[in-house]
Amino acid sequence: MLRIKNLKCSYGSITAVHGVSLSVKKGELISIIGANGAGKSSLLLAVCGLMKTWSGEISFEDNSLRGMSPPSIVRAGISMVPEGRQIFSPLSVMDNLKMGAYTMYRKRMKAEVEKDFKMVLSMFPILRERADQLAGTLSGGEQQMLAIARALMARPRLLVLDEPSMGLAPKIVDMIFETIETLRNQGVTILLVEQNARAALKIADRGYVLETGKMVLQGSADELLVDDDVKRAYLGQDYGDFYDGRGN
Amino acid sequence: MPNGTNPMDTADKEQLKLERLQSTLNRAYKNVPFHRKRFESHNLTPQAIGALEDIEKLPFMKRADLGLHYPYGLFAVPLRDIVRIHTAPGTGDRPSISGYTQADLLIWKKLVARSLNACGVTDMDILQIHLPAGLANWGRDYKDGGELLGASVIPNSMLSLSKTLMVLRDYKTTTLVTTLAFAEQLTDHMFERERHPNELNLKRIILVGEPVTKDIVKDLEARLHADIWQHYGLSEIPGPAIAHECGDHCGLHICDDHILPEIIDPATGQTLPAGTAGELVLTTLSARALPLVRFRTGDMARLITEPCGCGSPFIRMEWLTERADDYMIISGIKVSQEQTAVYLKQALGISDPDCDMERIRLNGTEALGISLVLDDALFSDEIKNLEQLMFTTERSLTENLGVPVTIRLMQKRN
Repeated sequence: MLRIKNLKCSYGSITAVHGVSLSVKKGELISIIGANGAGKSSLLLAVCGLMKTWSGEISFEDNSLRGMSPPSIVRAGISMVPEGRQIFSPLSVMDNLKMGAYTMYRKRMKAEVEKDFKMVLSMFPILRERADQLAGTLSGGEQQMLAIARALMARPRLLVLDEPSMGLAPKIVDMIFETIETLRNQGVTILLVEQNARAALKIADRGYVLETGKMVLQGSADELLVDDDVKRAYLGQDYGDFYDGRGN
Repeated sequence: MPNGTNPMDTADKEQLKLERLQSTLNRAYKNVPFHRKRFESHNLTPQAIGALEDIEKLPFMKRADLGLHYPYGLFAVPLRDIVRIHTAPGTGDRPSISGYTQADLLIWKKLVARSLNACGVTDMDILQIHLPAGLANWGRDYKDGGELLGASVIPNSMLSLSKTLMVLRDYKTTTLVTTLAFAEQLTDHMFERERHPNELNLKRIILVGEPVTKDIVKDLEARLHADIWQHYGLSEIPGPAIAHECGDHCGLHICDDHILPEIIDPATGQTLPAGTAGELVLTTLSARALPLVRFRTGDMARLITEPCGCGSPFIRMEWLTERADDYMIISGIKVSQEQTAVYLKQALGISDPDCDMERIRLNGTEALGISLVLDDALFSDEIKNLEQLMFTTERSLTENLGVPVTIRLMQKRN
């Protein structure tokens, strides 16, 4: 579904992503994990058309995303739940959801949008309770749910989530991950970027580990969960003494 | 579907291979000075490998490199992450050490299960492993893979021939993993004792360690009333079952989602076009502990690019009987003639022993036969001393090479 080959992203003279290749197949939940500054968010920005210059290949359903604007990428079927939620604080919960359905209205699919409202509100009952409340007054967890619900309103075939657990209490994080898992079980293809490696891999089919802009590992979630490199990448630790006390 | 046999289309598989190759090279470059130096000596970084074909830019790795970096110099993870350490005979006077992380063992287990499953092994089978001491590593891998499939596994143990036959018959073994030498020895033993193969429940024999010709396969199948399947593996890393036969029995499918094959001209090192016979070169795509980058196997093969009738997405190879190096295969174990000469020199205490080496049959099993020229350097007027020297030399070589060794003295050459 999504295929990335040799992606390079730079900010001026600083290269954030050094030739990364990764892929997401239909129906998969893929996790990209890595420490701060590993290049995870840059990679997502390139996928969503928010990074102006990148080199390499990004294709979605066999069509190149090169030169496509963010709105046309949303129309092509990719929706993003951005880092830090980025909800429209001064708007009500309902209006935020309507903004998510912007491309649907453009397609004159009003009846479908009504159906989607029902679907997301039954998935996140708390949003129904808060429907008229200003989004800025919601708790962090509620805002995250709103951000996910808003992304779903565009009926994405690929849902991209950037650090959905960031800044949330552990209990809320569990809930968010349960929601992501439910979405996958309903057939939504998901690309999840997370620092919370263990939690992300527990629900993922496969995972990729990014380290300083380079892909250093990938594999099925069960393989990565037993991998010590994953712990290091997540914690951002470097290799210590090679023998590390063994054999002495 | 059993583990790891999910169908995948070609574009998906090529993408997966590229992703795995790139991350393997990133890890090797970052963590192993040997690999970093080789990149640097060619003015390359892993980012120069943007396509699978780009691997041709990188230098080859030889068996000798494993010995030169003995014991842990080629490990790409700290020793703390290693959960299993294997020893293979190697090339010079040092063995080759390989290591596995938890993830390596998990992946390898799945691959062995895949290869067993391709031969029709299921959880209804009783899998008996009989491999010589030199292939004990593979015995452990087959045990893990068989258990993952849910088969009842009878692990490798050093039993006598008659005890092995007893287990084979009484425990109702359906699948035997062994070497050609042992399968032949077993057949001879049964026929000598007038035991009929119908007494066995054996459905299939998986032969490992060396390529077997069609004539020998046919003969064994007729004598043992069981199907023969071949598996290809490396004694270094990652292990057995790198390639396996499918039901069509026309070549071996390489697990090329985890191991990238190339065929090169052994003399020039040039990559050969698909379909040409040459030396098999392998690059591991998922090994964590000990990545191999363009490893020259010394085995000769030909890649078959036409799709297989079985529908498997994995590329096939024809495994050829000749070799690109000086190795001899004895009971499925590779023995380097160069290394044997080194050990012989050490054991005899002379600088340049003159000898010939051949594969021989010794008490029904295969052994390395060394015909040693009794020259002035070796001659002793005390027969007893000479006998003692031959005895200790044989013992030392047997221990170091992992195969039985017998030395015969011969007259000076004319």
